[in-house]
Amino acid sequence: MMLLYAVVPSDATAPDVPGLAGRPLEIIRAAAAAVIVEECPDRLSATNHEAGTFAEIVCNLAESASVLPVRFPTVLTTRSAVLAELQAHERVWGQRLRDLSGLSEVVIRAQWADAEPDSPSSASGTSYLLSRAAAMQQREASVAEISGLIRDWAREIKVLRSQQGIRLACLVAGTDIPPLERAILRWQEAADRRQAVVSGPWPPFSFAVDQEAVHA
Amino acid sequence: MNDAERWSKQEVALVDLIDRVIGGGVVIAGEVVIGVAGVDLVYLGLQLVLAPAHEVEESVALGRRSP
Repeated sequence: MMLLYAVVPSDATAPDVPGLAGRPLEIIRAAAAAVIVEECPDRLSATNHEAGTFAEIVCNLAESASVLPVRFPTVLTTRSAVLAELQAHERVWGQRLRDLSGLSEVVIRAQWADAEPDSPSSASGTSYLLSRAAAMQQREASVAEISGLIRDWAREIKVLRSQQGIRLACLVAGTDIPPLERAILRWQEAADRRQAVVSGPWPPFSFAVDQEAVHA
Repeated sequence: MNDAERWSKQEVALVDLIDRVIGGGVVIAGEVVIGVAGVDLVYLGLQLVLAPAHEVEESVALGRRSP
């Protein structure tokens, strides 16, 4: 079985590091894009440990080439199956690789004093619905506020699901990360009991697929 | 918020990274064997989308059949 790691430019090379199963990474090429793969045993576990190792490998790949990470754990049975999948999508993937060249993903988590966990409380009926509506409005307002603060640096923003506060995935250039982090720090310091964390930079996991192209 | 409620940046980064590894990325129709503790639990030979647990929970709550 072939474990897929990432789509890369067709002229990229496979790094000389072992993959998740301890085997060499290989590259399967088409004209407009290529895929980094590893031949794996038929049994593949997908625990947090494997996911973390997979992430580390993809992050290392991104240091030397543009990458579109493949969702973990995706496997195809043979090299020819990988090539067929690649040839079916190479034009779209090649374009997305060019669009994302030089860009990374950071994730912003933000919460505030009265941010409630996204779970049912002991309250019921009208009071529960009213509190949920207020929490939703607070979230939407916070998304709008923070999106406005970082709009000069974030090329794309996606709102990720969050159980408390908000999470935003942002597509940014490396040079734009420090000013974005400073803007988020200013947001945190502008009121009591706010907290924000910026994670990354990582390969553009949340932006690997061009949603506008998907919906076109 | 107290210290226990404050996020550790390192822990947040790890959680968010793993969340993105299994919740983002290019989705391809393929096969996957999911195993726990060395035991194969299921083999799926169809298009599969693996998603973070909270997204699945939300999908179930909304009555959808898949995330």
